[in-house]
Amino acid sequence: MHQISTAKTFWLFFIPACIAVALIPLFISSEYTLRVSALVIFWIGMSGCWNIMSGYTGYIDFGPVVYFGIGSYTTAICMTRFGALFFPSAILSGVVSALIALPIGIPTLRLRGAYFAIATFAFAETMKQVALEFDRTFGVKFFEGSHGITLPISGHDNMFFFYCVFAVTLAIVLVHYAIEHSKFGYGLKAIHEAEASAEIAGVNTTGVKLRAYVTSAFFLGILGGIEAYWITYITPADAFSVQKTVQMVIMTLLGGMGTFLGPIVGASFFTLLSEVLGTKFVEYYLIMVGAVIIGIILVLPSGIIGTLKARKGIRFI
Amino acid sequence: MDTVLIQAIINGLLLGGVYAAYSAGFSLIFGVMGVVNLAHGELIMLGAFTSYWLFVWFNMDPYITIPFSMAALFVFGYIIQKYIINRVIELPHIMSYILTFGIHLMVANTALQLWTHDFRTITTSYSGANAAFWGLNIPYARLITFFLALVIIGALWFFMSRTETGRAIRATSMDKEVARIMGVNIREIYAITFGIGAAISGLAGTLISPFVIIFPEMGLNYTIIAFCVVVLGGMGYMPGALWGGVILGLAQSLTAAYLSAGISVATTFLILFFMLIFRPAGIVGKGLVA
Repeated sequence: MHQISTAKTFWLFFIPACIAVALIPLFISSEYTLRVSALVIFWIGMSGCWNIMSGYTGYIDFGPVVYFGIGSYTTAICMTRFGALFFPSAILSGVVSALIALPIGIPTLRLRGAYFAIATFAFAETMKQVALEFDRTFGVKFFEGSHGITLPISGHDNMFFFYCVFAVTLAIVLVHYAIEHSKFGYGLKAIHEAEASAEIAGVNTTGVKLRAYVTSAFFLGILGGIEAYWITYITPADAFSVQKTVQMVIMTLLGGMGTFLGPIVGASFFTLLSEVLGTKFVEYYLIMVGAVIIGIILVLPSGIIGTLKARKGIRFI
Repeated sequence: MDTVLIQAIINGLLLGGVYAAYSAGFSLIFGVMGVVNLAHGELIMLGAFTSYWLFVWFNMDPYITIPFSMAALFVFGYIIQKYIINRVIELPHIMSYILTFGIHLMVANTALQLWTHDFRTITTSYSGANAAFWGLNIPYARLITFFLALVIIGALWFFMSRTETGRAIRATSMDKEVARIMGVNIREIYAITFGIGAAISGLAGTLISPFVIIFPEMGLNYTIIAFCVVVLGGMGYMPGALWGGVILGLAQSLTAAYLSAGISVATTFLILFFMLIFRPAGIVGKGLVA
């Protein structure tokens, strides 16, 4: 079995790479390019969250956007209704998402395959409806329904948000590293390959799955909070949009599910592709995305990294 | 009993019939192939549009267009399964979800390019007509759809249990490998099954065309409802589509009548969520559990 990277080689590449990325804003003059770079990093983080849960365990989650939305709303409500500052609100968003993920994860993670996917999707849609209808039904002014919530204008430029998403994504990438080199990660992969055998072998499958689910929710919440502050306006349809889930899934799939580099490669490629297609082919953009998706599935089902790993002869995913 | 309740129940039943009509195809495809067809709504959309264009160009009554939309959708579904989806049946199921989602994107947006965002309707002489008695209103179009839904499911059951192809399909859904050994051409059966599922969905699209708004992006909503119906009734269990449809229709109608229209959508998903947690095999307990 050929192990490509030992710990030392990894850090030898990783640390300079991080520094290089961190220095990007200082060398880019165009706001648009900076925005796109920040977007790429944002999506690396998002698809990384999905990868932590679904990529490693194989439990396909179709509702991760719900924690993103909960995070967005938490930050929005904290900042508008309670006058809180951004950083505490963003951290609180992560905590709230994680706290909600726990009681939801316990019953949902008992389901398998398509049922888990549909249940998580159903929960996401329910939350969207709750955000839309709560105020009207109970006569309060909390979520603001379809009016949406407008956050205070930050006065920060793209560089600020670049570093915000960079920090969170760095944390997510480090979690990936921890997964690849820990018993927790072995547990996740074992669950993917043969859950019943893993349980017999002593893996606390429920605990491990729950840990992955809650961790993923925590980071999604923070990302949601950052996005809310960045865009300064959220509505239920956007914050809980299934399109975000779709993008997370496709990027991870394209890069390679359950791999360290998968989300990074997949998110970068797909975001840049969407930007190029979106600007050049405004009307046909979604048709091409559909074609790209079909193409990936038919040609590279294990994703880029997955296929590379398979060809180089490494056995485990 | 007061009229509001009876009207709500009737609305719920008729709605349920409509739901059952367009969820039967989804259940069939999942039951036989394990494919969650996320492009399901597009099949319905294409059926509705087939009827629309035949109505506009040739002045055909929507119910007359039924054979055309069924035939067109059968061919469409057959080709898609045979040349695209069949390539991923040996892979993990997530691949088929994503693949059908890609197909959904392509079909919906190509339709959008061709036919624009415009909302269209088919207005016939009987479009708004109700049977009105005892203070109740029963729209004729929905009543016909309800009965045709029963006919569809009945015909499907007959096909599955009494014909050679139906037996092959059932055999494939029970055990793919053994069916293969017995001489069933799995890929061909899959293509035919998807074709049938598509034809039924196209038929449903035609049936609803007299009373819904027709536009290229209508598909996704129907896919979501079909999910709910099929989980409620039991995945892969044909009559379950009726059960699930009726229960969902009643739930939505009653919450809309007594609470608010907005809550009825949230109720749908809450029901779905709790069904999955507590009874994934569906109400009657005959669904397939992954």
